[in-house]
Amino acid sequence: MDPAPRAFSELPSDPELRLPVPFACGTSGYGGPRDDGAPTARVLDGRRVTQCALSRVCGVCGAGLGRPIAFLGSRLEADRNAFHFPPAHLECAESLLGAYSGITVPVLGQEDPVTSWVLVTTPAFEFVRPATEDLDRRPTFQPHSILDERVAG
Amino acid sequence: MAISDVKEYTHLTVEEVEQIGRELDAIRADIEESRGAADAAYINRMIKVQRGLAAAGRVTLAVGTQSKKTRKPAWVAGAALLGLAKILENMEIGHNVMHGQWDWMNDPEIHSSNWEWDTAQPAEQWKHSHNYIHHQFTNVLGHDNDIGYGILRMAREQKWHPANLGQPVYNAMLASLFQWGVALHDLDIERIRKGEKDPKEMKRQLRQIFRKGRNQIVKDYVVYPALSGKQWKTTLTANVTANLTRNLWSYVIIFCGHFPDGAMHFTEEELEDETRAEWYLRQMLGSANFDGGPLLHILSGNLGFQIEHHLFPDLPSNRYAEIGEKVRALCDKYDIPYTTGPLHRQYGQALRTIIKLSVPNGWTSSNDPAPPERPDTANEPSLDRGRKSDEERQPRRTELGAWTRSPQERRHD
Repeated sequence: MDPAPRAFSELPSDPELRLPVPFACGTSGYGGPRDDGAPTARVLDGRRVTQCALSRVCGVCGAGLGRPIAFLGSRLEADRNAFHFPPAHLECAESLLGAYSGITVPVLGQEDPVTSWVLVTTPAFEFVRPATEDLDRRPTFQPHSILDERVAG
Repeated sequence: MAISDVKEYTHLTVEEVEQIGRELDAIRADIEESRGAADAAYINRMIKVQRGLAAAGRVTLAVGTQSKKTRKPAWVAGAALLGLAKILENMEIGHNVMHGQWDWMNDPEIHSSNWEWDTAQPAEQWKHSHNYIHHQFTNVLGHDNDIGYGILRMAREQKWHPANLGQPVYNAMLASLFQWGVALHDLDIERIRKGEKDPKEMKRQLRQIFRKGRNQIVKDYVVYPALSGKQWKTTLTANVTANLTRNLWSYVIIFCGHFPDGAMHFTEEELEDETRAEWYLRQMLGSANFDGGPLLHILSGNLGFQIEHHLFPDLPSNRYAEIGEKVRALCDKYDIPYTTGPLHRQYGQALRTIIKLSVPNGWTSSNDPAPPERPDTANEPSLDRGRKSDEERQPRRTELGAWTRSPQERRHD
């Protein structure tokens, strides 16, 4: 458990995009000497993603998950039921959604800018490690049964 | 023995490893599709039985100790019932619920986010030290803190220190005080000593441990003894016995999972760009089962199926026996070791390792089994299993991120 969890308002800020940088982006300013770069909201830290999945902590604030579990992603991810951003508290995901709506560059590990974010809630998820044949070699999260789905943006 | 290339060790080709991965994926899918009411009934029944045992134990101690005639039998029965309840709660219920095995039920109580177990370690810290550190970095030297719990030397690759001479004593202390050892596990004393721990997080964790530990002590050693009135000492000693029983039992079960002969250790090279199939393979080789009947498996949280648990930590534990038959058949098919044996033998081997590794390597011989040999590869030159330098490491294919096949694998083409 490297860094202490932080409230959404205390998350470090991305100096380029002026966005709060969530736990899953794993910056040196957030959780120890991972690298010497400035906090960035653009990419996910693979180690943190796995940590969130297995420790069952929120990808935004780093504290233990609650119920329901929220996933935030693009329309494509929702349709494929395979999210890249780790599970989050519903309130944290909503706050992140509020901060990131309207951003015109790829963020949170997305390959393209997301014009409409999808927020789903679920009681459970499966953490899927990549297979050799997968072109995208990042793990994904598959919510088990969708309780609610909201679209923003 | 620590191995740095699982595929080389097992003489498997890349395609075979991926095929094993696909077959394990299919086993997982089968269980997910058939998971339902019968499984939910199982965990609900377990919780009901556990709570019944705990209540019976507490009542027996509070009431039965009041009469001189029934005091001794009440002490024995109360301690036994309470010990069983604690074992069941920690092993089959708490450990497995916190892995998310029952999250699919969407039960507000039986959920990995909400369960707090009857032991000193806060659930949140367990989910980090066990679910993440141990299950992600299983048996990887320098990563998995469960290899000796920071106080025991459990692999020959770990440097010997004169302090290791005391291992048999440390081991006995760890076993007796297991819940407290586990409570401090996620603090990572080594990182605190090196000044690498975030002070804010350390304080937060210490506060959690203090609160949880205090509550456990107040519950077992103040409140319940007080309910026995003048016989508070009888109840207190019974509670100590119940906790000690649970400590010894959980220690034995956990040490049987990864330290018998045949359970492999790995170097960090194995972690790089590991595919799902490679991860599966490492879990299979790094874990060890033990044999037993249904009652033994329930009381050990189904960790007698440690291999299956490490392959599918979030599938319901009551299905591990069924999964085990398929996994064993898969291991036979590909000549992969499937380490298992009776509980006493598995623990005996772990204990022998603890004692042997208390002295320098040169004083003892290794009990590691020979690598598996396949008829189709038996005549091929033996492999260098030493730790590789950076120059010797396999370059990676950047377009896919996979390891370039080793010369050994190319010979299979």
